[in-house]
Amino acid sequence: MDLLSQLRGQIADFSAFLHREGFVDDQFTQLQKLRDESSPGFVVEVVSLFFEDCEKLVNNMAKALEQQIVDFKQVDSHVHQLKGSSSSIGAARIHNVCIAFKTCCEDQNRNGCVRCLQQVNHECIQLKNNLQTLFNLEQQIIAAGGSIPAKQ
Amino acid sequence: MMQGNIWISLNPLGSAQSMTLVLRFQIRPSYGRATFAPGTSSEQPSSNPQFRGLRVILADDDALNRTVTKKLLEKLGCEVTAVSSGFECLSALSSAENSVRLVVLDIQLPEMHGFEVATRIRKVRSRSWPLLK
Repeated sequence: MDLLSQLRGQIADFSAFLHREGFVDDQFTQLQKLRDESSPGFVVEVVSLFFEDCEKLVNNMAKALEQQIVDFKQVDSHVHQLKGSSSSIGAARIHNVCIAFKTCCEDQNRNGCVRCLQQVNHECIQLKNNLQTLFNLEQQIIAAGGSIPAKQ
Repeated sequence: MMQGNIWISLNPLGSAQSMTLVLRFQIRPSYGRATFAPGTSSEQPSSNPQFRGLRVILADDDALNRTVTKKLLEKLGCEVTAVSSGFECLSALSSAENSVRLVVLDIQLPEMHGFEVATRIRKVRSRSWPLLK
């Protein structure tokens, strides 16, 4: 098997894994379909924007939850934003944690919120690493003379 | 001219980010109904004669959502001006004169709520206008 076929096989397996384990959903596939010659870096750009957002929101939520009197409305609005952007890029696990997180905010459950925040953080790190692996594989395919497959 | 009915139905959970866009073109019976739903449809967006060159203003204060929605619309063939506030939306409209055919507004915009933007647009444009919220 030549290198290109090997890499294509790897990326197909890895994408299947990401979907199977719920790291990403069909929205991520839709994003990948939007990539074309005029904007080859589209997915990377959007994903980078997401993680920048994620970091800011997680920091804001952590600060809010450290306060003596927690402003749950503010925490909720941060969670709401993260829920929306995770849905936009197909970050399914993060999206699901946000749903539980919102409930904790509504219940004004500080411990629950702290737990959810830890989970969000954990999922963000995992997704970032996974997507980095995916993008690295894509770069290897390009370096080997191939083009990024439209459908994996 | 499009002269169709255009409306938007929000996700029942009330999330402004979960958008279902339903476009119905009354004067093209063979076209039927086209549904473009980010994340919910398995249809692949592709450039379409109905949308080619269609000038759109997109207003969303969230950079990520704006990037994704803009790309989706461009993939359909639209020419998109993306802005991040209601004020920018109104000024983009006034400088574009009559060439803008569609406005896509996020409901939660800073300083000016999406509904208010829509109302102001309607006041300025007296004839019936396709408007999407």
